[in-house]
Amino acid sequence: MRSVDVVIVGASLAAAAAAKRLVDAGLETVIVEKQLLPRHKICSGILSPRGHRFLLENFGALPRKVLHEPTACRGVTFHFPSMVSMSMDFFGGTTPHLHRKHADHWAIEQSGAEVMDDTSFLGQVQCDDHVVVSARKRGGETFELKARYLIGADGPVSPVLRSLYPDYHKQIPMFFVGQKFHEIIDCPLDEAYFHFWFHPDLGHYTWSHARDGRQIVGVGYKVGQKFHDRHLYVAKYFEEKHGVRLKPADDDHEGCSENFGPSLINRYVFGKGRVLITGQATGFLNMIGEGMSCALHSGAIAGESVVDAMLRNQPVQEIYRRNIASEVRRTTDQWNPLQIAFARPHEADFPKALAALPMADRIRVMRDIWSFLKLYKEFKWGRQIAGLSMQRLLRGDYSRKNWL
Amino acid sequence: MNVSVESTLPADPVAADALIGIPRQQTNASRWQGEQWADFVQALQQQDVEIRQQCADTGIYLTDAGGLAHGMPHGVVVAASAGQIAALMQAAQRFAVPVTVRGGGLTTEGESVAFGGVLLDMTGMSRVLHVDKSGLIVRTQAGIFWHHLAEVLRRDDLDYISAPLNLSSSVGGTLGVGGIDVNSARYGCSADQAVSLQVVTPTGEIVECSDRENSELFERIILGYGQFGIITEASLHIRPYTPLRMHYFYYASLQPCVEDLLMLDASHACDYTGILTMMDTAITLLVAFDSDQREAEFMATVKAQLRGYGEWGFGLRLAAGFIWRPWRWREALFLLRRKRELFPDLQPDMHMHDGKMYDRTVVFSRAVWKHWGDRHMVIPDLATNRDKFVEAVERGNAVCRKYFPCYTLYCVGIRLRDEHKAHYELSSIPPDAEGWAYGCEFEPMYNGVAYSRDYLQSFKNEIYDVGVELETSYYRFGGMMKGYIRRALGDAVVEKHLQLKQQADPAMVLNRDVIF
Ligand SMILES: Cc1cc2nc3c(=O)[nH]c(=O)nc-3n(C[C@H](O)[C@H](O)[C@H](O)COP(=O)(O)OP(=O)(O)OC[C@H]3O[C@@H](n4cnc5c(N)ncnc54)[C@H](O)[C@@H]3O)c2cc1C
Ligand SMILES: Cc1cc2nc3c(=O)[nH]c(=O)nc-3n(C[C@H](O)[C@H](O)[C@H](O)COP(=O)(O)OP(=O)(O)OC[C@H]3O[C@@H](n4cnc5c(N)ncnc54)[C@H](O)[C@@H]3O)c2cc1C
Repeated sequence: MRSVDVVIVGASLAAAAAAKRLVDAGLETVIVEKQLLPRHKICSGILSPRGHRFLLENFGALPRKVLHEPTACRGVTFHFPSMVSMSMDFFGGTTPHLHRKHADHWAIEQSGAEVMDDTSFLGQVQCDDHVVVSARKRGGETFELKARYLIGADGPVSPVLRSLYPDYHKQIPMFFVGQKFHEIIDCPLDEAYFHFWFHPDLGHYTWSHARDGRQIVGVGYKVGQKFHDRHLYVAKYFEEKHGVRLKPADDDHEGCSENFGPSLINRYVFGKGRVLITGQATGFLNMIGEGMSCALHSGAIAGESVVDAMLRNQPVQEIYRRNIASEVRRTTDQWNPLQIAFARPHEADFPKALAALPMADRIRVMRDIWSFLKLYKEFKWGRQIAGLSMQRLLRGDYSRKNWL
Repeated sequence: MNVSVESTLPADPVAADALIGIPRQQTNASRWQGEQWADFVQALQQQDVEIRQQCADTGIYLTDAGGLAHGMPHGVVVAASAGQIAALMQAAQRFAVPVTVRGGGLTTEGESVAFGGVLLDMTGMSRVLHVDKSGLIVRTQAGIFWHHLAEVLRRDDLDYISAPLNLSSSVGGTLGVGGIDVNSARYGCSADQAVSLQVVTPTGEIVECSDRENSELFERIILGYGQFGIITEASLHIRPYTPLRMHYFYYASLQPCVEDLLMLDASHACDYTGILTMMDTAITLLVAFDSDQREAEFMATVKAQLRGYGEWGFGLRLAAGFIWRPWRWREALFLLRRKRELFPDLQPDMHMHDGKMYDRTVVFSRAVWKHWGDRHMVIPDLATNRDKFVEAVERGNAVCRKYFPCYTLYCVGIRLRDEHKAHYELSSIPPDAEGWAYGCEFEPMYNGVAYSRDYLQSFKNEIYDVGVELETSYYRFGGMMKGYIRRALGDAVVEKHLQLKQQADPAMVLNRDVIF
């Protein structure tokens, strides 16, 4: 059995960041990826400035091929049922519109880690001072790797997480998000912005933006409803209300499950023993579903914690949880109403954009947001969020009690 | 400030204004992957250069004092002689193996961390070679720690002129970055005391250089961040040893204290000056003198102009300010505790006689590590000319407040030597500074809270962003800071030095991730 220092599951951005720290520190690191690289990943690709900076600082200048057209995004535009729209620019300039297939692959290559692609993680067994990871190359035999640590950077339905907590995904709401691509006849939505709708009739998560000459129409809702019907409904709404005229969708539509929610209520999963969970698998997701910057940063923190644990001969979970607290604060703050009102936790200024609206519109927007939030009532997050906000105010931090 | 030159940076495909002002440059080095390592090691072994590759040998160099960058060398060479280092550099050029030089390893941005390749540990060369008592010049190997040098000089009642307040910083490492002491406002940076140096060039020649001999190399080596050669021996100006007469003045806000510091330095009335704060609430102006006469002159003439209070007066004033503000009592308690713990260590009995302090380096360095030191030494700074300094301090202070409940600022002046202008070209000394440059260091205190590297990096970025807006410079600008170098100094200067570097170090192997 081959013996390495660290195995990372998933050739994702979180993995690239973790691998960067580990490889720098001279640790033998192997990344196991289910798909053939470069692999496709469904994503809007709008990286926040913080994430952009992380890529630059760690992997260097972005090559052109890791970007879609338009290559840059200026900010976000919110649309409301009362037909008020508000645009917010990102702090610190425009941000990249990443082509995830190439961006993730580029970052992985820059990290210098060894990659086994087309190879699925199957399971793990923890022993005293190592983890035995089993995996299989497509069409090949199952094989085992002996590692000092295992990092699960394998996204929202994380098989590594499931190998630790088989029931976890049943306990949190899973959503479906899907997007279709349309040739444009006429689209008045400004292509420099990412557009998002706070509209309870349209769904839990509704968005649109331009990519490589086409317009994306995206919908998100609780698992169990029908993608094509929802999509049609939204496209019709865009046409009627915003004058967005599109040809019927092309065939290359796509969708996936998302574990939206843990960041709102501070219910992250960081792993057990020598197995760390990082990236979106832990539950990290910023406001409006931006998950790449926290994937990068949490991945780096996971890598840094493993280096630390080896250096100090201390339990890695303890170190990881201590180090990750700042990233938890940052992400959960984004959903904390007190922070939103007073502390600017986002990378664009919502309170300022709101204050710039006429008073009547401001009231409409607040009313619309409220009725949109009611869509999420069934998850009973309200009281938990209120509790967390008080916790943050009084202790300056979020509790670690509910972390797994 | 950006003069148009053919830049070696790629065009930004994202957008012209993406991350305003941040050059598209990787600042966390990428690891060298070990091409031709085996051949390189064999070539060295044939010349009897020992290279240690065991994990136990390489692991101790994993990080620097900053504790944020982690990188493992493939092998370690402990410096023994200029000849050995010359052989190392010749082989490194031939096989394109990166060499990272390390003295005390007190950098904070990973400059002395090796991301693969060879780590050259200079502490193996730490002997004092000759003390010229009448000419007041010492010749020493460059891996020696300042404190060790001081100990040797003290036998003859002599002392170095200026060095970082840190027991384990080395002569070579300091001459390469500058070196600031509380007497720098009077004597200049530590590098200014260098008379001549023995240097091993990146291609492995052993060269002696000074302002007269090989002066161009000398200019590049001094404040050159180890880019143009490895300092193996140094001749330094020294001086007779004197104990210190210390005085402290206390201020309740930053501006008057900083203004008083500028005024004091301009008056030449003090031998040592500096500011040390507890947040922006209790601000201490430290002044000290080499002789009773200087002290008496200061007391008679300049002291009355200072706006600071004595310890008791300030305590009462502070108490009066806090008593009506119960929401700030936690801060008040912190200040009290801090004062109780820190002050005795700044005047420890065994180093004080007749009100004079003996061995300020020991006193201050111990205090630094005991009261500020932590697993991560995060000490971003801003270096400005006199005019911008108050603003830089106040804006940096606001960033500290935003990120940490408790922190310290440390401010000092650096006397600029007209005749050394060429040394300062690619350095922390802001190009628009005349007479003095001023530095302020912003240092968070963690109080047991763990912060991730990324949180600390964001804090640093925000401090340095203030510097970009103020069009000024920084003291620490190697390693992870290198993205800022172009912003601070402009493409023209950086490109010029890059070309010089490419000539001097064709394979670009010496300290390769520090500046370029
Ligand atoms: C429609 C949509 C739009 C989005 N838009 C944005 C946006 O605009 N901006 C933004 O920042 N974020 C966006 N996100 C979120 C973002 O895509 C994710 O948060 C981010 O990609 C998470 O990265 P990660 O590194 O955690 O893992 P992922 O990128 O999810 O990668 C996980 C990897 O693990 C691999 N894997 C899974 N199972 C196995 C296995 N058994 N063995 C081996 N490998 C395995 C997968 O193949 C994959 O490569 C969007 C998400 C969706 C769905
Ligand atoms: C707690 C703390 C307090 C500090 N206080 C001060 C202070 O008061 N004043 C001040 O000026 N600085 C201070 N510093 C910064 C630090 O002391 C300086 O960076 C110091 O001069 C570095 O010396 P060093 O021997 O540790 O060099 P290193 O960190 O080992 O090296 C510094 C740089 O020089 C290169 N180098 C090292 N040796 C040689 C050589 N022989 N030839 C060529 N290049 C070489 C290295 O590659 C590296 O790029 C402080 C740092 C810390 C962590």
